[in-house]
Amino acid sequence: MSKGTLKRFCRLACASAIALAATGAQAAETLNIGFTGPLSGGAALYGQNTLEGLQMAAEEINSSGGFQVDGETYEINVVSLDDKYAPSQAAVNGKRLVQQYNAPVIFTPHSGGTFALQAFNERDGFVVMSYTSVPTVTEKGNELTVRIPPTFTGYMKPFTKIAMAQNGKKVAIANATHDYAKYWTKAFVPTWEAMGGTVVADNPMDYNKSADFYTGVSKVLAEKPDVMFIGGASEPTALVAKQARELGFKGGFVIMDQAKMGEMAKIIGGYKMLEGSVGVVPLTLYEEPGAKAFVAKYHQQNDGKDPTTEVAYNYFALYSVVQAMQEAGTVEDATAIRAAMGQALKNLAPENNPYGVTEIDANGGMQADPNIATVKDGKVVLQRISEVLAD
Amino acid sequence: MQDHANSVAASQYRGGIALDLFLQQVLNGLTLGSIYGLVALGLTLVYGILHVPNFAHGALYMVGAYVSYITMVDFGANYWIAMIASAISVAVLAVLCERLVFNPLREAPPIHDKIAAIGIMLFLEAMVQMKFGAEFRRMPTPYTDILDVAGMTIPAQRVLIIIGAFALMAVLHLFLKKTMTGSTIVAMAQNREGAFLVGIDANRVAMMTFAISGVLAAVGATLFAPINLVYPAMGHLLIMKAFVIIILGGMGSIPGAIVGGLIIGFAEAFGGFYISTDYKDIIAFALLVLILSVKPTGLFTKGVR
Repeated sequence: MSKGTLKRFCRLACASAIALAATGAQAAETLNIGFTGPLSGGAALYGQNTLEGLQMAAEEINSSGGFQVDGETYEINVVSLDDKYAPSQAAVNGKRLVQQYNAPVIFTPHSGGTFALQAFNERDGFVVMSYTSVPTVTEKGNELTVRIPPTFTGYMKPFTKIAMAQNGKKVAIANATHDYAKYWTKAFVPTWEAMGGTVVADNPMDYNKSADFYTGVSKVLAEKPDVMFIGGASEPTALVAKQARELGFKGGFVIMDQAKMGEMAKIIGGYKMLEGSVGVVPLTLYEEPGAKAFVAKYHQQNDGKDPTTEVAYNYFALYSVVQAMQEAGTVEDATAIRAAMGQALKNLAPENNPYGVTEIDANGGMQADPNIATVKDGKVVLQRISEVLAD
Repeated sequence: MQDHANSVAASQYRGGIALDLFLQQVLNGLTLGSIYGLVALGLTLVYGILHVPNFAHGALYMVGAYVSYITMVDFGANYWIAMIASAISVAVLAVLCERLVFNPLREAPPIHDKIAAIGIMLFLEAMVQMKFGAEFRRMPTPYTDILDVAGMTIPAQRVLIIIGAFALMAVLHLFLKKTMTGSTIVAMAQNREGAFLVGIDANRVAMMTFAISGVLAAVGATLFAPINLVYPAMGHLLIMKAFVIIILGGMGSIPGAIVGGLIIGFAEAFGGFYISTDYKDIIAFALLVLILSVKPTGLFTKGVR
């Protein structure tokens, strides 16, 4: 061993001794939190984003010395398994997370995975934290399920109300053709008609497989609608809006919540083409102090990159789980943790709750009051759903 | 049904508007058809050399769009300079593919070429995704005017697409028919052994053909990208159509690729407008089945196996 390496070895030994002494005093226990979601394949980016939110929260909690429950200090270890978006694999992962890692809580970012885990979560005693806005995951009466984001059905009335008031009562359906878009249409059309509107054209388009939207858009515009209902991924949705304007559409757009107005504006150079539209915006445009604090923190950690909705909601969700464990005084009893969730949401620090979620319903659906955005005179005006419905 | 009845009634008393809409679809069909034709042309030329479809052609198209995007956005170059830069880089890339991959495989069974082509496609897409990420980008264009001719909406970029694509096709046609070098490519596609017998250098012709296909892909991408989005999987959209087109037009046939491109473009525009946007791809494929059952070798075959 040369002199140099010996020196380095000594330094390393000293450093690790100090580190041991520092952590040894508290002797934090490790608590495994499970995650099963798509980490490879076509939906990998989505899965990675949801996982990133959990990991960000876990790192924060651990670097501040963990959290205390019943006199014991715990650090969080997020165990992530890839299910490639397949429910069957999610079920296998779920079993592994419970049996091998003793995870009391498992996160999953898709409805298929949620249904698969719901087949045995009550028996095996773990809480399913489901990141999906499909309402049925919490309508089946599973007692240990929490749905993290609000359901998309909450957008129907406020969107309809705003669009009708700004533009008129004739709507043309021109959104995308995937499952989520179909669910939306199924909920949107009855709401629109119940509020006195008519559907003048029904012409969904495949946003991912179309080389051009001129044909589909001109077909829809031939029926002279006041409002166009569009939406898929943000970028192609922006193209649809742009091409509708080119073809002379003067009305407003109702934009399905999958597309974010901020992302669309980047593609089509600002909000001018979205005049008279209603939709959702990214968290970065929210005015609430909790949202601002979270965005600032995320920007600082990621060289100014904007946080996605997935990161923000999952970050919040892990904090709410930790808070619920503290309220319940247990890290193992899933029923007690789930029962304490309502109290936990009330006591959560605003900076850990960027969307300001304060309630959870009896079925486990978290109740946020998200901002929706309208474009007036080229500017984005934000309103909470409750404000829109009130006036 | 109610909606449908309304729309029929509405279009009956709006005869003038219906004509505008018809002409609008002609324009849409021309735009799509000329781009499809351009991409299919490159594919059909290479088919003459490889005798298998080059699955990597869509990836070359995608690389062409990225090169133009970077030249314009990161280096601030002019649109036409970006197009030339992209044409040169993709031509070089296509020649490299031929030299490094397809040429060593020329004695191997055709299935090896197919596998290699798919390999190149996956490689290029993964490379671009690694370097630039999977996100959508939008290519700027200096031609943002929107012309309004007799009630039709005609963005300048779309006019450019149609003129550009047909100009390139005309140049290619003259090159193949009127020059000696061009004739060697045609000769090679028609009869490989015959071409060797009259002393045509197979290596040179192969490289040249790949370079031309690269240029066609890059120019097509640079023309079309400003009205669409730039992302790693953008080639899939066109390559599927291009396959249909060269089968429809006859494998290896140049007029077949152009006419086939227009047929598919018009089928999508008119089918999508008058029948259903949801079914426009089905209409294109139904047309393929129909044409193949009448003329199983495609519309313009020259006996290329």
